[in-house]
Amino acid sequence: MLTMLAKILKVLNSQASPWQIGWAIALGLFAGILPLGLLTLLIVLIVCLLTVNLSTFIVVWGLTEGLMLLFATPLENLTWQYAQNDTLLQVLANTETLQLLHLHHTLTLGAFVLGAVLLLPVAWLSKALVMQYRTRVMSSVQKWKLTQMLKASKLFALYEKLN
Amino acid sequence: MIRKSGWLVFIIFFAALLALVYLVAGPAIRLGMVYSLEKVVGAEVNISKVSLELAPLALRINNLQITDAAKPTHNSLSFGHARAALEVWPALLGYYVIDELTVDGLQYGAERSSEGKVYRVPGVEGEKVDIAQLLQVDLPDADELIARANLQTPAKAEALQQLAATEQQQLKTLQTQLPTKDSLAQYQADIKALTDSKVANAADLAAKAQQLQQLKDKLNSEKAKVEQVKQQLTHSKESLQRAVEELKAASLADYAKVQQLANLSDGGLAGISQILLGDVWGARVAQLQTLYELAKPYIPEGGISSGQGSETTEPEVVLPNRILPLPGQPYPDFWVKTARVNWLIGGGEATIALQDITAQHALINSATKFSLDVKQLPQLAAFNLSGDFAVLQQMVTNLNWQLDGLNLQPLTLGKGDTALDLAAGLISSSGKLNLTDNQITQQASVVLNAANFNSTGNKYLQQLANLLNQQQQIPLNIATTGLISAPEVSIRSSLDKILGDALLGEAKQKVAAYQAELQAKLNSQLQTGLAGQQDWAALLTQQDGELADISGSIENMLSAKMADVKDQAKDKLKDKLLDKLGGGN
Repeated sequence: MLTMLAKILKVLNSQASPWQIGWAIALGLFAGILPLGLLTLLIVLIVCLLTVNLSTFIVVWGLTEGLMLLFATPLENLTWQYAQNDTLLQVLANTETLQLLHLHHTLTLGAFVLGAVLLLPVAWLSKALVMQYRTRVMSSVQKWKLTQMLKASKLFALYEKLN
Repeated sequence: MIRKSGWLVFIIFFAALLALVYLVAGPAIRLGMVYSLEKVVGAEVNISKVSLELAPLALRINNLQITDAAKPTHNSLSFGHARAALEVWPALLGYYVIDELTVDGLQYGAERSSEGKVYRVPGVEGEKVDIAQLLQVDLPDADELIARANLQTPAKAEALQQLAATEQQQLKTLQTQLPTKDSLAQYQADIKALTDSKVANAADLAAKAQQLQQLKDKLNSEKAKVEQVKQQLTHSKESLQRAVEELKAASLADYAKVQQLANLSDGGLAGISQILLGDVWGARVAQLQTLYELAKPYIPEGGISSGQGSETTEPEVVLPNRILPLPGQPYPDFWVKTARVNWLIGGGEATIALQDITAQHALINSATKFSLDVKQLPQLAAFNLSGDFAVLQQMVTNLNWQLDGLNLQPLTLGKGDTALDLAAGLISSSGKLNLTDNQITQQASVVLNAANFNSTGNKYLQQLANLLNQQQQIPLNIATTGLISAPEVSIRSSLDKILGDALLGEAKQKVAAYQAELQAKLNSQLQTGLAGQQDWAALLTQQDGELADISGSIENMLSAKMADVKDQAKDKLKDKLLDKLGGGN
């Protein structure tokens, strides 16, 4: 937990561009919502190829996977209800690539649609929040006793060393 | 914007992921299976190893043991090893198509090396089907048989008794209104006094005529009352007669029913084997309901609408499914193409072969087929079971079996006074079963050979045991139709009459005693109900006659005396006139 908090603080306080952090959060959320499969690998490939902040991506991916333990079943039921569309089912049946991406799976389709819808707004919102943090909060946070304690801890020193 | 080492990072990530899956998948699946199975059965589950093979893609499970929660020293189910080979391309698309499934060393009830832990003690109503339990029935006693006959006579007898009491009460009320002998004598005396008296003048004559008329009116009123009582009596007699006829008819019908039930006459509606085994077989057949409940979510609701081909029919699936209902789904959600199960049973081995296990038979255009062949086991000469199962527009299951020489373990049928011990016997059976949705049609013949029965119960059961032991074969024909939740079971045997005569000897005696008692009650009720009324009828007829006589005599007396009085009055008037005229001359 301390490591995760330290990671987040380090990224927020680093020179990484707000867009890199914003996209890392959005893509981490997308990868976390999706069940593990080819689509997840594609997102990981994009994250690897583009200069998206890896630490943030991994942390958000992990957190979202945890949250999906709660929300997977309602999302699957909701998708089943709204996916009974002849045209959609016909397209899925005729396109093997979509089946290879498991988009004919109820949960995967629902997660893909939700992730795609959230991608841009989450990226933009995260970028905006990071910018707000850096201009308004960062200097105060640096002075917090907790931050100084974290920075002084052996774990943080080890983390710094490894990085 | 582009990370230069991006591909390298991805390749490392992908390789790490594959390695992780390969190394962790087996133990992870093992932990998942143990957790899920223990949650379901409520007892310790052991799996030695689960491993994943990559080429060809297959899952192997070694040494699975599921502890029997009711008997922790034994397993409820265990097998040596199982292997499922998955097809890669369907797996990539998310369909579980298993090319070959093999299970070796499957055993039920094998002893464990160490006692297993029990997390949840099973309820007493555990559903285990074994032959001993199947035949574990309580023989009905005579009272129960009479109760099952649903006799109508007691109700009719009760109704007759009530009717007789009501009618008698009504007649008693009317009796108080009838003229007594004293009052009739008084009428006669009054009339006589009036008619014997001398008429003094015309005014006296008029007064007496009026008094006589009043008496006559009173008499007529008494006559009307007698008439009313007579009508009531006739009505009562008719009602009681009708009730008596109904009672007699009910008595006859009941006797016929009891005769049929007790198999006293040929061609009875229900044989003794039906009474003994009908409910038990029906309950066992109803267990097939579970199969229907399992398949029900996959059965389309409306069936095929006319004019549509099989390709355009879309099952109306209600429950959310893992995979969306694509119009031309390439594979079923799960499909085991072939399965072979090696079953260790009764000191020998049996092989179960299955083909095309799925719940979406329309997609593969084939039914699930299964067969079991067992030969030369210590307790069983041969057993062959084959059948098919398909969920299409309806769920259709066909089953055929042939069982030869099943050695029966000693068992007791019934308990207490009606216990019948079966020391030894060989069962053979053949039959077929069709289950279409929740409708069952089943035919079976069961033959018990070389049976050795004993009974220390009542003399009828001893007689029955002797009779059964004299039979070379005891055949039973069992037919079942209707809903699986409430099947109609018909069990016939050529031995029904013999069995019925022997087993129901006591019942027959009770029925005969009941008939005698019924007849006595009937007679007594007819006496109290009808005989009393006959006395009444005689009394009323007598009273009616007396009243008519009195009335008639009064009429005569009245008219005679009135004429006499008038003549006397005329004579007196004439004399008076003549005196006056003669005195004037």
